[in-house]
Amino acid sequence: MVASSDDIIIKTIARILVPFIQIYALYVIMHGHYSPGGGFQGGVILGASLALLLITHGYAEVRKRVPEGVVILLGSLGVLIYAGIGLICLLLGGNYLDYSQLSVILNVDPAHARSLGILGVELGVGFTVMAIMYSIFFDISTGGVLSEDQKHEEKLEGKK
Amino acid sequence: MNEFFVAVGLGMCILVFLVLYRVIFGPGVFNRIAAISAIGTKTLIILLVLGYVYNRVDMFIDISMVYALLNFIGCIAAAKYLEMER
Repeated sequence: MVASSDDIIIKTIARILVPFIQIYALYVIMHGHYSPGGGFQGGVILGASLALLLITHGYAEVRKRVPEGVVILLGSLGVLIYAGIGLICLLLGGNYLDYSQLSVILNVDPAHARSLGILGVELGVGFTVMAIMYSIFFDISTGGVLSEDQKHEEKLEGKK
Repeated sequence: MNEFFVAVGLGMCILVFLVLYRVIFGPGVFNRIAAISAIGTKTLIILLVLGYVYNRVDMFIDISMVYALLNFIGCIAAAKYLEMER
């Protein structure tokens, strides 16, 4: 599943399509409060674009662009943004995720602060969902075994 | 005009069930992949027609685009799986 494809048509189409998919995903995230969509759906589309890249260009190529460490970092960062915004609202004297309290920090009226707060939370959700979707796809398609792990095990066996 | 779109949507729903026959009984994997892809396309059209029925096409276009995209990626993934099986 993660080997690179030889077919030039599939590769070219995927290479052209992936940036547009990602821009569309950003649109879905940013317009979450006006139209269907939001953080989760946008994150899934971002994850789907990475899955398309993984299917067509193979494990080695994608790993160079999106290393495992970055994926873990993005997944944690999203949770941090979500929980952080909630906690800031809590510290400012409101309920958890009570965005209108953010108006003190952002220096805008409460309605505007609510909109910005929802946007921030959705960005966080989008980051996490993208990372986790990619990670799940990665683990299923490799059977949980990464090629680097295999190299490591081979090295250990060589030492024995 | 509304009745027209409802009729088109219902016709599409019937067509989906006709294609579903190929998915379940169709000989071979290729027939099944092609049929699933066709069902995805029909679902997209049904979504757009529903948008006209509810007079909110702008909302439904977003959803249908995502649907088309996931259909495309799923189709490539199935083809890749077949290639690997050989």
